[in-house]
Amino acid sequence: MTNTIRIERAILNITQAELAEKVNVSRQTINAMESNKYVPSTTLALKIARVFQKRIEDIFTLEDTD
Amino acid sequence: MKIKFLFPYKCKKIGWLISVPTFIFMLVQMNTDFTFGFLNYQASSTTKISGDHEFLFNLQSHNFTADLTGLLLIGSLLLLAFSKEKYEDERILKIRLESLVWAVYVNSVLLMLAIIFFYDMLFLNVMVYNICTTLILFIARFNLVMFFDRRNAKMENL
Repeated sequence: MTNTIRIERAILNITQAELAEKVNVSRQTINAMESNKYVPSTTLALKIARVFQKRIEDIFTLEDTD
Repeated sequence: MKIKFLFPYKCKKIGWLISVPTFIFMLVQMNTDFTFGFLNYQASSTTKISGDHEFLFNLQSHNFTADLTGLLLIGSLLLLAFSKEKYEDERILKIRLESLVWAVYVNSVLLMLAIIFFYDMLFLNVMVYNICTTLILFIARFNLVMFFDRRNAKMENL
């Protein structure tokens, strides 16, 4: 699964730490998601989409290997 | 997200403070047979002569130093192993679960090797250490992964 968290974050001009605080996870988790090392739960994905005010499909995309 | 079965974050510090000295004491105690005199127990009447002295309620004489050390060590290692992180989240839970699976595998393999290669007193000694090795392997692996995780996240953002 790939995501556009880093881009969306740049658009909103917020740091990893600020996003982490908004969705109530550690900063390392945001970092791991941006580097595609961690796939978030549905709850966390929905929270992130809510921060960016986008649909979840606009941020997260399935890959062939998923 | 509701997190079950974990102690509060501050218990981690208490766990470190108790488990490290207790572990060192256990190593010394096992190798020197050191015991505290005040933990000696002698049954007042030894008239009942029976071969069965193996339960707490029919002990004839015993020193409880090793027993108390074991209880304290397991208790403090549990606090250290299963306390929440400062910023607990779903990914840390995943790392914790993976570390637990890893620790149980490694401990079991070590135990199998001990069964094959060690006999008599040496095997019994290994079994004593085995009381706490699963927890220690888990703590070591989990904290190592968390350490590299924090370091990687810091380096990528420089």
